[in-house]
Amino acid sequence: MAKVQYSGVRESRTGRINDLGTTGKEAEENFKKGCLKRADRSFAQGLQCQQINSMAALMSLEDAVFISHSPQGCVGCSIMAVDMFRVGQAHRGIKNIRNPRIIVTNIDQKSVVFGGEEKLREAVKKAVERYHPKLIFIYASCASGIIGDDIDAIAADLQKEYEAVIVPIHCEGFKSKICASGFDAAFLAINEYILKREQLPKEEGLINLFAPTTISYADQKEMERMLSLLGAKVNYIPFYSSLEKIKRIPAAEASTSICKVFADEFMKTLWEDYNIPYSHTVMPIGIRNTDKWYRGIAEVIGKEKEVEEIIAREHERIEPLVEKLKKRLEGKRVFICGGTGRSFAAAALIDDFGMELVGLETPTYDEDAQVDIEYLNGIHKDFVLDIANMQPFEQVNLVKKLKPDAFIGVPEWAAKLGVPTTHVLDGKRPTMGYDGLLFLGNKIADQLENPGFNKKLAKHVKLPYKDSWYEEDAFKYIAGGN
Amino acid sequence: MSQILENPRGGCVLAGISSVLAAINKVCPVFHSGPGCCMQTTAAEQGQSGHKSSCFVSGVSVPSSNMLEREVVFGGAGKLKTTIQGAIDIIDADAYFVLTGCTAGIIGDDIARVTEEFQKKGHNVYPIETPGFAGDSNLGYEIVWNTLIDQVIEENVPGDDKLVNVFGIVPYHDPFWSGNLEEIKRILNRLGLKVNTFFTDHQGMEDIRKCSGAALNIIINPWLFKGPAKKFEEKFGVPSIRIPGLPIGAADTTKFIHQVAEALKLDNDMVETVIAQEEDYVYHYLAQSIGVVSWKRFAIVADANSAVGLTRYLANDFSFTPVLVIISEPIFREEDKQRIISEISDLEYAKPPKIVFTADQYEINQAILTEEEDISLLIGSSNEREVGLQKDIQFLLASFPMSERLVLNRSYAGYRGSLTFTEDLYDNL
Repeated sequence: MAKVQYSGVRESRTGRINDLGTTGKEAEENFKKGCLKRADRSFAQGLQCQQINSMAALMSLEDAVFISHSPQGCVGCSIMAVDMFRVGQAHRGIKNIRNPRIIVTNIDQKSVVFGGEEKLREAVKKAVERYHPKLIFIYASCASGIIGDDIDAIAADLQKEYEAVIVPIHCEGFKSKICASGFDAAFLAINEYILKREQLPKEEGLINLFAPTTISYADQKEMERMLSLLGAKVNYIPFYSSLEKIKRIPAAEASTSICKVFADEFMKTLWEDYNIPYSHTVMPIGIRNTDKWYRGIAEVIGKEKEVEEIIAREHERIEPLVEKLKKRLEGKRVFICGGTGRSFAAAALIDDFGMELVGLETPTYDEDAQVDIEYLNGIHKDFVLDIANMQPFEQVNLVKKLKPDAFIGVPEWAAKLGVPTTHVLDGKRPTMGYDGLLFLGNKIADQLENPGFNKKLAKHVKLPYKDSWYEEDAFKYIAGGN
Repeated sequence: MSQILENPRGGCVLAGISSVLAAINKVCPVFHSGPGCCMQTTAAEQGQSGHKSSCFVSGVSVPSSNMLEREVVFGGAGKLKTTIQGAIDIIDADAYFVLTGCTAGIIGDDIARVTEEFQKKGHNVYPIETPGFAGDSNLGYEIVWNTLIDQVIEENVPGDDKLVNVFGIVPYHDPFWSGNLEEIKRILNRLGLKVNTFFTDHQGMEDIRKCSGAALNIIINPWLFKGPAKKFEEKFGVPSIRIPGLPIGAADTTKFIHQVAEALKLDNDMVETVIAQEEDYVYHYLAQSIGVVSWKRFAIVADANSAVGLTRYLANDFSFTPVLVIISEPIFREEDKQRIISEISDLEYAKPPKIVFTADQYEINQAILTEEEDISLLIGSSNEREVGLQKDIQFLLASFPMSERLVLNRSYAGYRGSLTFTEDLYDNL
């Protein structure tokens, strides 16, 4: 049977759902029985589109120009990646901090009627004349997709003219509700247009370490340190990398990723197309998850014995410090909201500190989530599970009812309810590995012990919801799925 | 017609519309758009405006129909209906504005028909049918006011000869909008006037509905608001004056007061007393730090409103030497360009600087890199830090987009704002 190529749309994988209000126990059972069905929300708040992720994933590449074939608004979120890129350069000791080169074709009324091909050609021409880049990425948008601009054909035609590798990426926002699809779209394009299934001789000890923009330099160093203890050489991609580093991907002996939904699909492709084994476990946040992540990649490269020695050493160093944190945090009830990787990782992390999970908000439920939920059900009492990409209205309803001692995730809304908050997605500071654990633990404990800001804020500021909303079922607007 | 742009400043018209609405107290935008537009538009405007975002709803808090393939193919009116109903049910807003993304715009969903159903039931739900691809975010400010004039502001409101409306300072597109409006309001209050800023002091829909009772519209901007001002005068009979640039410092702020006083025929003695006290306040401070901020030859990259204000303050009141001014937003009408050029060129003592109009980052960088005259101070947005470092020039982050500063109520406008700006110029290196 011919291999069906993955479309890049995460919903196309069977058993994956995005809209569900349930509990940990119920979700585990229903998933086992095959009873979790795709649903929808009849009322929802904004989501993150996949184009945002496609752009953010590559924004820090050297010698590249990023062309968004869209109206001006579609590069709005790229500013977050741009900010991260600028700060990342500062952290890496670069003095002349530069901007990434983003060009927007600015699809307008005329393009909607007559097509946007001319604008795209002109944008590529400008990119070449201005920067002579090695790479030009062309991002599709809702608008370019609906008006039917064939970016593949245009790119192929332009490729004859220019030396730069031109890579069209199909990240039209309307194609997926799961923003992580955008990572897949970017990697699919990289495989298609840069790697092209050409085999390279293997470099001994070389590991592909995939990392998204939200990983701080401190975290990069920690992950590289851990892998080098296993004798590995790290190809850190695509954040702060280059065409040369991307081209080295097929030469690696193994792959792993820092984020659970970043490059997980791509690592499968690398196995299928280049025979590169990979480790896909969890995000290395907290002792349990860091151990698991570390053992995962060690096993792939045949360093099981070595990793146990290192883990034992790290535990000896870290456990007394964690014990101190545990005294400050034990028994506290926590609500967690985050992306797929970080939400589950944070849920595992709080177990290191003896905290109790009362609610979890995570964007998708699938086979991978089931593994995490089984683990969490084993250590926590029945917790509320909201399968939602943010949806603050559901979150505040749940937080107000569950009254957790602490909230981990985007702080904006829980803070206005007076709950101590800790952000787990801080791309400028440490989060990962054994050392990140201490940073996070101290952050949570300090917030808990000194919650004045949020408490006072809540007295002065009201969230936009009617009082009656907090009396309603948080999952009222989830329709279908049963 | 939108141009191809490198590192564009701000978002599409949808971003402009939603950020202006978000700055009005208890107003809830509802997006009929693709799944990312709420986040993208908020990030483009509010996110690049000194890290301050709407107190009410913004980003992923904004209700959205999140149009996917199904809606693209079969239309999304049904999804929009349940989204609006949900918003009315749970969000405690005084008004809901339904906005269109590219997706809804291209497939041609009739949102006005949907909003009409809700209006018939007595809900304040208003349609704005301007999809993202229709232009950039500046246009959004005018679209919002055109919509308010057409659909919200009441006619036959009793006139109040002490009430003025302030327009032209665009929320978020000016990172200092809050503080600037507060300072303008403070000054106008001192003249005995009541002021609608619409975006500060929790002003909201009721102030907007009744603003046709004002005696004067004061437009503080060299080019925006021409269309809405005309419409406003035709429909409600309220005349406008244009202040062709943000007044910064004693000279321009006094000129601003004189313009307002003349239009409203305010008592001359009272006006001059206020001016004397305010100017004394400014110079009392300036006199305490003479020579501390040393002589500079400066270049400015900013929107027209800020560029005019900052250039005139530095050149006229602070005796810095203007070298290059880059207007980094698309200006479409020739008459507007001429007004901007004349405001920047007509200086008291200083020689006029070179003036460049471009919103494209590459062209902006080239203009600065190839400038033959010395530049020792660069005032610009986060995007200009790179060229500042490259040329090794002192850099002050003072215009949009701004991502390395937190701005809450800081103001550069008026008498007091000019002191804050002067403080920020200080660099002990």
